[in-house]
Amino acid sequence: MPSPWRRVCLFLLFVMVSLPSLGCNVARVTLNTSLTAEDVAFIVPGETRLSDVIAKLGAPDSITDTDAGVVATYRFLDLKYSQVNFGWLAKPWTRVDADLIFSRTGFGVDAFEVLCDPQWIVLHRSFQRRTPFHRNCRFSPAWL
Amino acid sequence: MKLGRCLLGCFVVASLIQGCAFSRGTLGDDIKSEAIAAIHKGTTTQAEVLALLGAPDRLLQLNGRDVFQYYRYDAKAGSLLLIALNFTRLSIKSDDLFVILNREGIVEDVMSSKRTERLEFRFWPFGD
Repeated sequence: MPSPWRRVCLFLLFVMVSLPSLGCNVARVTLNTSLTAEDVAFIVPGETRLSDVIAKLGAPDSITDTDAGVVATYRFLDLKYSQVNFGWLAKPWTRVDADLIFSRTGFGVDAFEVLCDPQWIVLHRSFQRRTPFHRNCRFSPAWL
Repeated sequence: MKLGRCLLGCFVVASLIQGCAFSRGTLGDDIKSEAIAAIHKGTTTQAEVLALLGAPDRLLQLNGRDVFQYYRYDAKAGSLLLIALNFTRLSIKSDDLFVILNREGIVEDVMSSKRTERLEFRFWPFGD
């Protein structure tokens, strides 16, 4: 391939690769470590004690009193935000700050609750949300 | 020759870290491990817990027992600002301590976890 064409192709390739990242912002916020079903599989209702849960998962974020016993709650959050501003494409040709923004925020919030009897034996455990945590929280274009 | 390499190294490092931002925020006092270790089940009294850790952040009632809750939050944010392409990641973790006291005011149980010790500054928002 002649040298000038090669340079043009390389330039076009560079532009194509760079275009999707123009005016791109990607942010993520996490609160505590998210728990999965595998992480809590060791808990057997009627057998496991709250002290065993704490030894594996750490202290809960809150403990509340109920008629049936005590509820220990582990909270976690994962927020993902992405934005592309196609207005950046016009920047070389105009003094006006043109914006054409597509953004999306995925807010994944969940909690794992453990109900214990007055002797601290686990009676029941469950995640607060029924849909898998990461289904609501992902980086993706605004139109998806 | 050495000076030239050193200058080049400084230039490369300076080029790489420009556009970086580090932010940190904390809420609450540090819960000292020595203070937690000094609390013994069945012997330590409510007054001793208060002397060691101060007044609790939250006071709860569980099955007729008092529970002192202490907490501390730590947040670390790392940003890579490349003008046209920006990455930001904020991580928040908490230290929690629950001291359960029986009706006589003696410590019945202690639950604690220090999650903030493993908290790091991170830039890359993808993955875990």
